[in-house]
Amino acid sequence: MLPNTQARAPTTRIVSQSVVPRDITEEFTQAASKLKTGQLVKDEYFTLFEAVGALEVGRNHLALAHCGEIEMIIDLMDTSHKQIMDPKMDSGYLGPEEKGKGLEDDYDVLRDLVPEEVVWIMDELLCHEMAWHRGHPLSQTLFTSIYLDKLLWPIPRTFDDTHFGCGSLATEKQIPDLVHIVLRAYCLALIKCCDFVHARVTSEFYYEVSSVQIERMLLTFFELAQEEDFSTQLYNRTLLSHFEYEHFSDVLNRAISWIDEQDTIDAAVRSAIKSRLQFRQEFLSGLQQDINILETRSVDKLESCLSIIPALRESSNTSRPVPESFSWKIQRRLASTVPPRPVVKISFEDALAHLKRLCQDGIHLNQVLDYGGPYNLKVAVWTLLSRKPQPSVYIRSLIQTIIMNRSTVLGALPVKQFIYDELAALVLPSSILLEANLDETEVPSDPRFQIAQLMDGFVRRFSQPFVDTFRSACLNRCRIRRTVCHTLADWDNLQMEAEDLDEQLRTLSEEPPLELPNGDTTYSYPLSSWAYHQKLIQFRLILQLGFELTIYAPEELPGMYWYLSHICSTHLGHIDRIRTFILAAVQRDRRSLAKHATLRKSFLLFDRLTTHIVAIDAFAISLHALYVLLSRHKVLPRAFAPNAYSNDQFRYELRMKPFLQITLPELVPYEEYNREATLQGDSDEVVLERATKAIGEARKAWEATLANGPFDDFNGEKPNAPAIEEDWKRDVKDTMRACIGASIAIETVKKALVNASGAAEPLNLRVNIPEAGSKSRWHDWWAVPQVSQAQTQSTKA
Amino acid sequence: MASSTPPASENPTSTLRYIRYDSAHEDAYVAAMRQLISKDLSEPYSIYVYRYFLYQWGDLCFLAMDTDPTTGEEQMVGVVVSKLEPHRHGPMRGYIAMLAVQEEYRGKGIATKLVRMAIDAMEKGGADEIALETEITNTGAMKLYERLGFLRSKRLHRYYLNGNSAYRLVLYLKEGVGLMRTSFDPYAPPPDHAHDHLPPAPVPPAAPLLGENGA
Repeated sequence: MLPNTQARAPTTRIVSQSVVPRDITEEFTQAASKLKTGQLVKDEYFTLFEAVGALEVGRNHLALAHCGEIEMIIDLMDTSHKQIMDPKMDSGYLGPEEKGKGLEDDYDVLRDLVPEEVVWIMDELLCHEMAWHRGHPLSQTLFTSIYLDKLLWPIPRTFDDTHFGCGSLATEKQIPDLVHIVLRAYCLALIKCCDFVHARVTSEFYYEVSSVQIERMLLTFFELAQEEDFSTQLYNRTLLSHFEYEHFSDVLNRAISWIDEQDTIDAAVRSAIKSRLQFRQEFLSGLQQDINILETRSVDKLESCLSIIPALRESSNTSRPVPESFSWKIQRRLASTVPPRPVVKISFEDALAHLKRLCQDGIHLNQVLDYGGPYNLKVAVWTLLSRKPQPSVYIRSLIQTIIMNRSTVLGALPVKQFIYDELAALVLPSSILLEANLDETEVPSDPRFQIAQLMDGFVRRFSQPFVDTFRSACLNRCRIRRTVCHTLADWDNLQMEAEDLDEQLRTLSEEPPLELPNGDTTYSYPLSSWAYHQKLIQFRLILQLGFELTIYAPEELPGMYWYLSHICSTHLGHIDRIRTFILAAVQRDRRSLAKHATLRKSFLLFDRLTTHIVAIDAFAISLHALYVLLSRHKVLPRAFAPNAYSNDQFRYELRMKPFLQITLPELVPYEEYNREATLQGDSDEVVLERATKAIGEARKAWEATLANGPFDDFNGEKPNAPAIEEDWKRDVKDTMRACIGASIAIETVKKALVNASGAAEPLNLRVNIPEAGSKSRWHDWWAVPQVSQAQTQSTKA
Repeated sequence: MASSTPPASENPTSTLRYIRYDSAHEDAYVAAMRQLISKDLSEPYSIYVYRYFLYQWGDLCFLAMDTDPTTGEEQMVGVVVSKLEPHRHGPMRGYIAMLAVQEEYRGKGIATKLVRMAIDAMEKGGADEIALETEITNTGAMKLYERLGFLRSKRLHRYYLNGNSAYRLVLYLKEGVGLMRTSFDPYAPPPDHAHDHLPPAPVPPAAPLLGENGA
């Protein structure tokens, strides 16, 4: 189904006070009268994008929703034309249920409210606020509140203008205290909270792009406009960003003291109101902190919010509904190209759950901030951001800024140091390439000077793509996969560039060649080796996210798990290669003890990486073999019909699309893939043995991975991040559960094969592949089938 | 995941007939089409969207019509709307924009038949590939397309106005479509920006790492 796009197209326009509307009814009617009904006047350059975004004319009027307040209603067509109009596309349309009710709401914001009604309005606003955090537009959430509307439009010039009586003849004194002092303070602070969130998200949400990527970004604009985690659209209003935080805090404080003094209000309701005001105070202050958390390391405010949540939940029954204080009709007056859409309803329980996660994630963010080397930072960032449900866009935007802002990582580390730490840990422990920069050598002919220059060039070129491998974790899961599909091609190029650099550097550093057993000689190629390592991680991520996002059809699973294991074994071979060169360097240079300590650390990191990849590899081999058996015996669910248009080879090509143009690792030709993926020539017994053996190895390797823990030693210590460590361990344990599930499935298939004694009949088995995200899936990256004896058929001898 | 239910029977009742859209009957067809589609699909479309497709690719739009045996009146019970043009100056891409079948007529293979007619017409028109998006909650549509050989190529988060995500489904009709260069290939290497001081990158297969990694 074709998506609409217009709602997402950014329309940050400023109302110009100097625009003078001119009535063009006459001219328009005259021009239009020359056309037949339905006649198309199509400009050659009128694109689908514009077609989808076009406003319709109908129902007797043309509503120029763009103009916001200045709504022009032009009578120009008779009702016979209304059939060309989809009511859902009419921005001025009111459904039959609204007949006779008019276009405006007659709710009086100056009316008296009982305290219970104030509680209800506050809770309803919180629901809308969280719905907005979850990606729904303001127009269908907060901007349906008549109270908020009154505060936001017309745009208040001074803070004193921000009251419900503004624009009417009423003075502040005529507004009931509960409304003016309490509800107003709550509403204003809520708007300011949204302002902080909006500012953070709009400054960071869109990936910072290097100039080389801009062209590509423009080209994928359609897609970007399509898919959003968050609606940044403000419909030509402001979220009071022009008023300082202190104003909002002051009105809240005043409201809190005022409510304390109201002895006439029932104690329970009074405390309900007070807890809501206090929550708002803490939340506002927590959001105001924003990236200053890098300096303060304080999460007190969010912790206070968390502690108030139970009180909010328990006191929500003290409320009395005032549904008429919200209206979807306000949308008609917003600067938007879409017609009014239904108000988004989320329950108070859901809103609190979202809020709780937001606070919790915000608190745990503190555990990412201490720098413990690139490896540990990557583990921490990816672990935190892979939480299910994924942390909210606000938290993700915050982390994205914190990872790198103005060429500084975690607000403290120059990006050059960051990338040097990574190289030192993986490919260049104790090398002149990293040390050359420390010299003051300024003689251009000195090799150290030239090395330093080349290395500076490397940092300039590679730091952004490297940092982006961290920052991409902040995108939504769908976009992570697509982004990595794109960056894969970049890294393929980067690897080639690094290889050029390696060749120049090894001449300058006089690297001695390494003799291979077959007599050939070769060199270490440290920078391109590192780039290749990065690329292989991305290959794996694309596949694993493919499983998580249910991209693969059941009949693709044998092949995709084979491919995953293929990538893993390629990676293991590559790590071995790096290790070999480092060992050779150690043997050449036995002098320095300090160097040996550095090298030992690298070897520990290699062991950690190797154990983890072996675990993934073994599990993938086992699932591959299991799926081969299920497929051979025709019990694997099928998506494709025999009379489908495409064939296996075309489908393979499509599936490998992200990898087709990658130089290394080379694309596996279809014939070879097909042989490997089906384990052609191997008997069932051999395949079964393979599955059993591999799952045993996988279980051992995952246990070893768990024992290693998430973090590597960095400068003699591991990061102190208990919450992240817990998440990481849970993830590994879930994987181990998935391994057990696979063992059971393998056993069941084994028994069925014995019973079937080699008959070509389909096995008497029922196969179910639990959906990603479901409980029986154990782990989203591992599509372990549930295999059970089919009940209905009798066992065939 | 996919169930093992067999595809719906492709023997529609005898009164059903399948026709190509004809602009001579635009008024009646478009009105009926819009009614069908607006009932079925969550996205609202303006008249311009229909016209965009029908004026340019009316020949890729197919209709299923049924005649009421008592009144003799014919009504539209199914529709598919598509387009066909080079994708980013690369492969000829067919795109299925809308597909709808009246509720009482589902399970008779009408949608499959309509999609097949559209794909056949696009193939005749030189299509290299067919693409479309579908809501991830629309398992019926996904099964239909996957039976025809489509693969999910990517997932799009919150793609539709109702906040639902989508899958992009793609079908290659020829060999080598994945390698057809588009002028804006998202997977193509970036322009030669980095070689300010270097000659163009050497031909990759000779890369020294090639023979040594993963061996």
